[in-house]
Amino acid sequence: MRTLTTGFALLLAALGASASEIHPPAQATAGTAITIATSGSGSASFYLIGPASASKRQVQAGSDISVDSDQLEHAGRYTAILCASDGCASASFVVNPAAPNRLSFLVHPSRVPVDSPNRISAVAFVFDNFHNLVLQPESVTFSILPKDGKEVSATRNSENGVAWVRLSSARKEGATRLGAAIGHANELRVVQQVAADACNLRIRASRTKRDLLVETDPVRDCSGNSVPDGTVVSFTKVDGAGKTTVDVPIKRGVAKVEMPVEGRARITVASGVVTGNELEVAGAQ
Amino acid sequence: MRDTAARYSSLAILSIAFVCGILVRDFRAAAAAEPPRVELNADNIGPRPLEDLTSKSVPRDYAFAWQTMEQALEENRPGLLEAYFTGLAKQDLIQRVNSQIKSGLHTHYEDRGHKLEALFYSPAGDAIQLRDRAQLDVQVLDGGKVIYDEPMTLQYVVIMTPGADRWLVREMQTTTGEKP
Amino acid sequence: MKRGLPILLAALTAVLMVIAWFQSGAIGRREMRSASTPDQAVRLMLSQIQGHNFDAAYARLANKGDVDKNTFVREFNGSYGSLLTIASLESFDVWGLHSTDQEATMRAKLHYSTGVGPLDDIRDLKVERAGDTWKVFWPVDRAAKLPPQVIPVNYLRWDIISRGSGDDWGVQNVDSPQVRILSMNAIQRPDSIVLVGEVVNEDSVPAYVNVGATLLGPNEKELAQESSFDKIAHTLLPRQVSPYRIDFPGMRLDKIKSVRMDAKALLIAASADPVIEVNQQKLENDPLGKKVLSGELTNQSGQIVNIPHVIAAYYDSNGKVIWVSDGYVAQALLPQVPVPFAVDLPPDIAKNVQTYRVVVNHYDTTS
Repeated sequence: MRTLTTGFALLLAALGASASEIHPPAQATAGTAITIATSGSGSASFYLIGPASASKRQVQAGSDISVDSDQLEHAGRYTAILCASDGCASASFVVNPAAPNRLSFLVHPSRVPVDSPNRISAVAFVFDNFHNLVLQPESVTFSILPKDGKEVSATRNSENGVAWVRLSSARKEGATRLGAAIGHANELRVVQQVAADACNLRIRASRTKRDLLVETDPVRDCSGNSVPDGTVVSFTKVDGAGKTTVDVPIKRGVAKVEMPVEGRARITVASGVVTGNELEVAGAQ
Repeated sequence: MRDTAARYSSLAILSIAFVCGILVRDFRAAAAAEPPRVELNADNIGPRPLEDLTSKSVPRDYAFAWQTMEQALEENRPGLLEAYFTGLAKQDLIQRVNSQIKSGLHTHYEDRGHKLEALFYSPAGDAIQLRDRAQLDVQVLDGGKVIYDEPMTLQYVVIMTPGADRWLVREMQTTTGEKP
Repeated sequence: MKRGLPILLAALTAVLMVIAWFQSGAIGRREMRSASTPDQAVRLMLSQIQGHNFDAAYARLANKGDVDKNTFVREFNGSYGSLLTIASLESFDVWGLHSTDQEATMRAKLHYSTGVGPLDDIRDLKVERAGDTWKVFWPVDRAAKLPPQVIPVNYLRWDIISRGSGDDWGVQNVDSPQVRILSMNAIQRPDSIVLVGEVVNEDSVPAYVNVGATLLGPNEKELAQESSFDKIAHTLLPRQVSPYRIDFPGMRLDKIKSVRMDAKALLIAASADPVIEVNQQKLENDPLGKKVLSGELTNQSGQIVNIPHVIAAYYDSNGKVIWVSDGYVAQALLPQVPVPFAVDLPPDIAKNVQTYRVVVNHYDTTS
């Protein structure tokens, strides 16, 4: 009888020391600490395998295991493993992104001709503070601030973490600031709207004390936008002394040059592949 | 005579076992040398249409990315991640490899293929977003001991961006994972 | 024995020194030291200049009283970071043009080796008899001098703000400039294929441009690949046009099926300064009878141009670019001080030239 009882007690003890189990929460939020319940007894190794981590530590099976918030910053699938003397048990759980608070904002191109429909694209990828892509639909605010104009904004919902919009360039040249905002994130980019090729390039000449001053009318494109300063205008003069050429950058909308003239002279002007009018002038008396 | 026969047969058995071991290792090495199978479905891509060349390079480079990642996690060699990863994806994987080294762990993948669905291709062509349904057998080993071994189907959201001569994985995030 | 070895070594050294003295042309120099002919006078002066013995060379001048010594030295040593400051007189050729008992005109062709390749300079020198010797009459420098002054310069400058290492990947650098090859003409020369044409910066920002080409044979096989190297004005401001030239030595056009052109452009910080006027351009023959395009460069800005580089494009009657030639100018361009230039043109090309256009590139030797 005693042997039976002892044997039965031993059997119960053996059954009581059953395989360890591990029970993490099904889901967690990035950057939030969790507690993982375990069952079993005795010393055990706890492993946590995540997208950017693989840690191991010694724990007591049967106790709750704390996982710090810094171990759960990356969203994705985690596997918790508990290995005791009787084997290993595992369970997986998903860490979801936290609230959206960052944007990767791509704007193309950085320079665009004026008055071009739908030429500018703005794409925003929505992330949380830990750089996890937020896949839930979120509201992203896009804004446009032209050089001399009022700010205009529009909201787009993200899909799979992406929100995007197409914009037309302004009718006037200048720098336009594009913005995207969500949470505390506010990203800015600059798109330069540039005039097209010079149109109706015209020059006129006047006498200075020694030389001839040749200057262009304000250089504009066919829409009336000023061609940017620094654009090169080539002046060519042919007179008795030979041929003279000068490449002059536009300054304050106008390009000008002083040239000596011998006898009758023919003066032409060009900018890139666009040519302007021709002048015939007499030399100094 | 009997002793001699026993000795020779033991020797023969050992030799065969040795050769088999080498062959298995070589086959596994050969398997590891092949990138996994990747299929791309771009029927729903937008707003930019997918170019013919891009439709070939993206799945090719994604396959190479997985191949290098699996090798890096198996052999604990973070340098292997330089070729096909960039940005935070590279940073995170390097962190994972380093923590594996620290903990004495490594991860083995049997990659049974990926089905890619193209979700978004930016108008300027500088980013592509994909959803990957990957079928994998994942083993985690502590030293030589297998502590975890599960077949699973994982779903990833991936962002790839163009590099100098290839597409690189910039973001790779699991969304769900279930046993097949 | 003790004393024998040192004596032997001393004797050997003396013999070797004598051999070296002969081999260095010392005998010739001794003969020239007398400068008893116009040819000897010029050669002696130039060899002293070659040896940087400027005091001795200056002493050879017939008109020392009119020629400032420092100006004389700077004519060969260069100044203001010009090309001559990174050059050395490697050799020279001297020959007579005409001579009498008392005076002669000698032509000297000076060969410099410089940081950008060989440079030749031709000078006609008057030589006068002074007793038993001949002395060189050096032309007095009548170049305009630059008085100290303030020249306000307010040409546009472009600076670039690039992405930082800590920036998010969405913060992308400003787009590279758009450039376009306007024309390309393949010309067979006796020993090479030459590609010439023009490239334009179509963008509103400055570009650093390089043009390359690949010659393709049958079945798209790549036969040769070259770039324009320095035969292009690399820095192009918005809407600026530059000629380019790419040489393929040893290639024949009949072996070429097609040409693949490639214009690469990088965004760079740049200044619209300096503006250089190219005056009095004309096609003429130089003193050696070679066809050249000559003219004058005038720096209209306030900063000194250390090494000007002239690139000329030549057009036929259809406006097609039929040749591009280039040349470096030995002198620096001081503000408002004209400096002459001349670039070669092959005679067989020259007869088809209807018009031409000159672009001035420049390099800085001072940082």
